Amino acid sequence: MRRILQAACGAVAMLALGGASARADVTVLGWPGGPEEVALRATVEAYNKQPSVAADDKVKLIFFNRDNFWDKLQADLAAGTAEFDVNLTATYAVGRYAPFMDPIDLPAAAHTTFSDGVLKTMQFEGKQYGVPTDLSLHFLYYRTDLIAKLLADPTWKAKYTEIAQAKWGKALAPKDPDQWTWDDYAATALFFTRSLNSDSPTRYGTVLQMKNLLFNMMVWHSTARSFGGNWTDASGAVTVDGPGYRAGLELYKKLYDAGTSPKDSLSYEFAEANAAFGSGQVATMLQWNAAFGDLDNKEKNPTVAGKIGTVAPPAGPEGRFTHIHGLGLGLNASSKHKDGALKFLNWLATPDAMLLYAKAGGSPALQPAIVEKIASDRPDLVKLGDYAGKYGFVMNGATSAKALQIYQLQAKEFTGYWAGTETEDAALKNVAAGMAELLKK
Amino acid sequence: MIAPLTALLVVMLAVPLAVDLVYAVSRVTFETLRAPSVIGFGNFAVVLRDGQFWGAMLFSLRFAVLVTAAELLLALTLAIFLAPLLASIPWLMAPLLLPMMVAPALVGLMYRLVLHEFVGAVPYYFVLLTGDSPSFLGPDTAFWTLVTIETLQWTPFALLILYTAYQSIPTDVREAASLDGTGPLQMLRYVELPLMRPTILAVGFIRFIDSFRVFDNVYTLTGAGAGGDTTTISIYIYEAFFRRDDIGVAVAASMILLAIAFAMLTVVLRWSERRA
Repeated sequence: MRRILQAACGAVAMLALGGASARADVTVLGWPGGPEEVALRATVEAYNKQPSVAADDKVKLIFFNRDNFWDKLQADLAAGTAEFDVNLTATYAVGRYAPFMDPIDLPAAAHTTFSDGVLKTMQFEGKQYGVPTDLSLHFLYYRTDLIAKLLADPTWKAKYTEIAQAKWGKALAPKDPDQWTWDDYAATALFFTRSLNSDSPTRYGTVLQMKNLLFNMMVWHSTARSFGGNWTDASGAVTVDGPGYRAGLELYKKLYDAGTSPKDSLSYEFAEANAAFGSGQVATMLQWNAAFGDLDNKEKNPTVAGKIGTVAPPAGPEGRFTHIHGLGLGLNASSKHKDGALKFLNWLATPDAMLLYAKAGGSPALQPAIVEKIASDRPDLVKLGDYAGKYGFVMNGATSAKALQIYQLQAKEFTGYWAGTETEDAALKNVAAGMAELLKK
Repeated sequence: MIAPLTALLVVMLAVPLAVDLVYAVSRVTFETLRAPSVIGFGNFAVVLRDGQFWGAMLFSLRFAVLVTAAELLLALTLAIFLAPLLASIPWLMAPLLLPMMVAPALVGLMYRLVLHEFVGAVPYYFVLLTGDSPSFLGPDTAFWTLVTIETLQWTPFALLILYTAYQSIPTDVREAASLDGTGPLQMLRYVELPLMRPTILAVGFIRFIDSFRVFDNVYTLTGAGAGGDTTTISIYIYEAFFRRDDIGVAVAASMILLAIAFAMLTVVLRWSERRA
C-alpha cells in the first residue's frame, strides 16, 4: 500500500512539475483550421527564434475545434481559466468577452501597422482589447468565363434580357459585375439557373447561405445595408422594421423561391456554399474573402480555379457596402503570465510581425505603406484594404455586449421568413422587439 | 466501502444538482456565475410561458416517438430474420453494430457531406438516375431526414438487445409450442413476443429518453433549423445557456425536463412492478 502511495505521490509531483513547466510559456489560443492557423504558426515560430525572447516568454499555440468555438471560449473565460494567456477575440464578440479580458496599450508601432479604423475593430467602450490580426469582408464571386461569354454572345444577351423581363420585371442588359446593382445580380442568377434557362451551363445562378446561423446574417447584412437597413438610428432606436431590411429580405426570398439557389440553401453556410461554387455548377456567390484562396486552388477546385473574379457586393439605392469585422488576439484577465503575453502582443502589432503573418496566409488590414511591401505576394490584401476603406461598415450597435445575441435572433427569425414558416411582418416585429430588449440591458 | 461511494455521488451528482437548483431560481449570466442573484421562480414562469420551449418539447416528443417506434420495429424484424444467420456467423453482429459506435456529432457532419447536392453520394445518384436531386435538409424534409439518420444510427443498439432476448427464449418452450401445432406467426404472436415484452419495453424506454434529448447530430446537421424548426429541447437549453446568456432560464428548463423524466420513470417502474 505504501509503495502505491509513494508511486502516486511521485506521479502527482511529476505532473505538477510538468504543469509548472508548461505555464512558463506564453500560451496562445488561436482560430483553428484555416489560413489564420497556418499564418499564426509561422509567425509564432519566427517570434520564438528571436534571441531576444527569453525562454520563459516563448509562445506555444493551442487550438479548439472550430465548431461552437465562441461558446467554448466563453465558458473557459467565465471559469477563469489560466490555460491560455492570449485568446482570440472578434469585433462582434469584443463586448461579450471584455469582462474576462484585460485592455492593452499597444506600442506606437501599431499605428504604423494599422489604421485607426482597423484598431477600432478590437475596441470596446474606448479600450483596446486586441491586436487586429485578420479582417473579414465579403466579395461577390463570379465565374469570369461565364460572364465573359454573357457580355460577348448576342444570343445569350437577348435571352438574358428576356429572362430578366419575364422573371424580374425589368428588361436588363448584361453588365460588368463591378457595375452591378442587386437587380443585375438577380437577373444574372436567374439567367444561369438551368430550371429557368435550359441553355445555362450551370445548375444554379447563385448560392445563398441561409442557414439559421449568425455568420450568415453578416453576409446578408451587406445586402440589407445597401438598401439603407441598419440596426439602430443615431439615437439608438431600433430601425430594422423598415424598407431597407424588407428589401434585403425580399431579395433573398425571391431568389430562393425562384430556384436560383440550391434547394438545401436553408442549411448552407460557408463550407456548403464553397462546395457548391467549387463544383462549377453555380455562377455567382456572395462569400467571405477568406474563401478565395481555396476556391482558386487548382488542386482543390480544378473546375473553377483560374476562372474566378471578385468584386465588392452589388450596389443598392444607398450604394455598395460590405460587412467588415476583425479577428484579433488579446489578453486573458486570468493569465498567470501577463508580462510575457504582452511582450508577444506588442511584437505582433509591429509592421514586421504583421508582414510575416500576411506572407504566411493571414489577412491583416494593413496601412497602405505596409501592404505595398507585400503587394506582389498578396494582391488580395490590397483589395481587402481598398474595399474595407471604401465599402466597409459595421451596423450600429454591432459591437455591443449583446451583439451576438442580436445576430442570432435575426438569424432565427429571418430564416423562418425565407423558409415560409413565418411572415415578413412577424419576423421583423419579433426582431425589433427582441433587439429593443437586448440593447436596453 | 459505502462512504467513498456516497462521497462520489455527493461530488458528482448532489453538488451540481444543488448548484443547478440555485441557478434555476436566480438571475445569472456568465459574468455572475459566482454571484447569482436569487429571484424566485421567475425563470420557471419565463420557460413555461415561452412558445419556443413548448415548440421544442413538441418537436422532441414527435421525434422521439417516431424514432423509437421505427427503431423497435426495424430491430425486431432484423433480430428475428437474422437470428439463424447470426447464430451461425456470430461475428456478423460486429459490423452491424458499427453505426452506434460513431460519435453522433460525427454522424451529423458525415451526413452533411453525404447529402450535399454537389459533393454528396446520395444526391449524385439521384441526379444520375432522375436528372435532379430532392431537398434533404429543406424546411419540409429536414425533420424526416433527421428521423431517418437517428434511426439508422441507433437501430443496432436495439437490435443487439432484442436479438439477445430472442436468443435467450428457452428452446423447450418453442419445441413445446411446436408439438402443440403452433405455426411460425402464432409462435411469434403468442410465445416469443410475450416473452420478449419486458426487454422490448426497456429498450423502447431507453431509446425514447435518448432520442427525446437528442442534440449532437441534429445540431451539426441543421442547427436550430430555419426559423427554429428543428429546435430540440436540448438545443433550446443549449441556446438559452450559451447563446442568450440566460443561464437561469436554461437551468430552469433543464429542471422541468428532469421532473418530466422522473415522473415518466416512476410511472414506468410502477407499471412494471404491477405487471411483475
